[in-house]
Amino acid sequence: MSQKITSLPRANFILKSKELIRTRESGIFLVLILVSVATTLMNPRFISGYGLSDLLLNTAMIGCLAVGLTPVVIARHIDLSIASATGFSAFVTAHIIVGQGWGVIPAFFVGACVGAVIGAVNGVLIAGLRLPSLVVTLGTLYIIRGIDYQFANNKQFTAEKLPTELVDLAQDKIFGVPILFCLVLLLALFGMWWMKFTRFGRDLYAIGSNPPAAEIVGIKVFSRTLFAFVWCGTLAGIAGVMYLSIYAIVDSSAFLNQELIVVTAVVIGGINIFGGVGTIVGALLGAVLLRVLIGALVALGVAQFWQQAINGLLLLIAIGIDRFLSRRSETKIERIRAEKKVQTP
Amino acid sequence: MRFNLAKLTSREQRFRPLTWDVIIIVLLVVLLITGSLINPAFLTAFNFSLMLPNIGEILLIAMPMTLLIIAGEIDLSVASIVGLSGVIFGLTYQNGLNIWLAAFLGVIVGVLCGAVNGILVARIGLGSLAVTIATLALYRGFATAAMGNKSVTDFPESWTNFGYSTIGDTFLPQTYPIIILFVLIFGVLTHLSIFGRRTFAIGQNVEAARFAAISVLNHKIILFMLTGAMSGVAGVIYVLRISTAQYDNAMGLELAIIATALLGGVSIFGGVGTIWGVAAAAVLFGSLEALFNLQAISPNIFTIVTGSLLIGSVMIPLLLGRINFMRVERSRMSKSEAGQL
Repeated sequence: MSQKITSLPRANFILKSKELIRTRESGIFLVLILVSVATTLMNPRFISGYGLSDLLLNTAMIGCLAVGLTPVVIARHIDLSIASATGFSAFVTAHIIVGQGWGVIPAFFVGACVGAVIGAVNGVLIAGLRLPSLVVTLGTLYIIRGIDYQFANNKQFTAEKLPTELVDLAQDKIFGVPILFCLVLLLALFGMWWMKFTRFGRDLYAIGSNPPAAEIVGIKVFSRTLFAFVWCGTLAGIAGVMYLSIYAIVDSSAFLNQELIVVTAVVIGGINIFGGVGTIVGALLGAVLLRVLIGALVALGVAQFWQQAINGLLLLIAIGIDRFLSRRSETKIERIRAEKKVQTP
Repeated sequence: MRFNLAKLTSREQRFRPLTWDVIIIVLLVVLLITGSLINPAFLTAFNFSLMLPNIGEILLIAMPMTLLIIAGEIDLSVASIVGLSGVIFGLTYQNGLNIWLAAFLGVIVGVLCGAVNGILVARIGLGSLAVTIATLALYRGFATAAMGNKSVTDFPESWTNFGYSTIGDTFLPQTYPIIILFVLIFGVLTHLSIFGRRTFAIGQNVEAARFAAISVLNHKIILFMLTGAMSGVAGVIYVLRISTAQYDNAMGLELAIIATALLGGVSIFGGVGTIWGVAAAAVLFGSLEALFNLQAISPNIFTIVTGSLLIGSVMIPLLLGRINFMRVERSRMSKSEAGQL
């Protein structure tokens, strides 16, 4: 008996590490490494220093948006207006900071605020009035883009007009990692913390797993859902400022029609589109995997024309694997239940 | 927690609840009247001949999409199917195939694409939103891979004329007899056929539909194939209208199609929707855009109005539901009072 107790931490550790290996995230990570290694073997330039940091810089925006969208999808909602919010906040931020002569930090602040307002509008309509999120965010997709066009009025901001610190920010690195990607990592860490360890985050999983049940057990569905949308909008705003920094040019059609790519990254990252399942790490890994695959295809000299088809195929495989795994665990639970039933009488 | 209008009407036949598809038709009439008052050029044949072709493809695909949404599924890959079938049509024609056969092949490709969607959703049991986002990329990728940056433009003139010119001196584009025929077919299919009733049954309650011996899986696959087929037809018409087959035909059209269906009063939760509402919504879109063009109002405002109408299409039925509910309650109360007396 006592021996059993002393060996518990060890057993626990083994169990934990087994669990870790079995998670969806480590699966994606494994695929990521496999793809990277295979591509590097065939084309050594793929992962050389410049290639890697370039890759991470390219991932920063989609990664940021995927981290933003994850809590919304986990709560069984969707935000299609995310790309419009990004484009709009990019333009508004450029307009304000160029007008006021502001620097980098105010730029991010302005972008985040613009995004947060858009997220709050979505959130109030969806959580407050209980309108379906697909329809509402499809509507705000059009409305925000329309306001963007009207406001921009064919104007554009180029690298000469934008503050140089902001444009240079895309080239800055910490230990070889682009500073913008570090920012995304920071945001993802914060997101992981509140999704995993706070009541707020756990409530979102509950809402996504079973909305009526969440209501019945007294979860504050309104405030939780509203916060998820505000978070999503805020990160879209920050991604908009990243757009300014990376592309150093913005007009009203910035980031047009990119919403489904963000959803793709999130789904590849193992977040179930029906809610309740997934993590922010997964979303970030999904975004990186999407980018790495595009990079790998280029490095392997696959004709550019095939890229989109391969993206689609990848997404199909990802959701297929998800379905397979969830069905397997379902049957497992069923079997355990059946065994228990046999034992009890 | 959702408000069930159908249940209420069966209980209280006296009240016909105002539904969104009725409102959209009223809105359309109001728009046509005010439009003709504002600008005398609005209600002219010429203006309509310009407006109608633009909404042709949207209308064609929005109708099977209506059935699909009623059954509780969605298809985001339709615009990519339009692109792919157009590309196949163009390429096979360029390589010497008879143009009729080429057009037929374009439609067949659409059916196949729809079948793949349907099998993945119904047989394998994946979520239709995720699957069709994937096939959106996949089909567009096939179109891109097949066509590259090239395009096919040398279609025979009699066929391209069919795409954009009108019948004689009337305002009706030559494609419209086909489109109107399809509207009628889908109207009958949705509202007067067993197939349509089954679709509604699946959307209202899948379990109950299964117990009523409806083959839910096969039904859904057929719906996806129907959507694919209409996307194929729309793909061929699109190519003829702009006289060009290239890989990015109709890029991004999927959201406009879904917006039309939802604006026509189809519930995103399934089980509710009408073909006439969707047809009215498509015409409303087209005439609103035409009016904005005539009045030289920037198309940006049109985009904003589109979005607002979409949100209105879910918000207003909610309010109407409350009002209807209150009316029913009041009548019930007055009835019970009368009974006591």
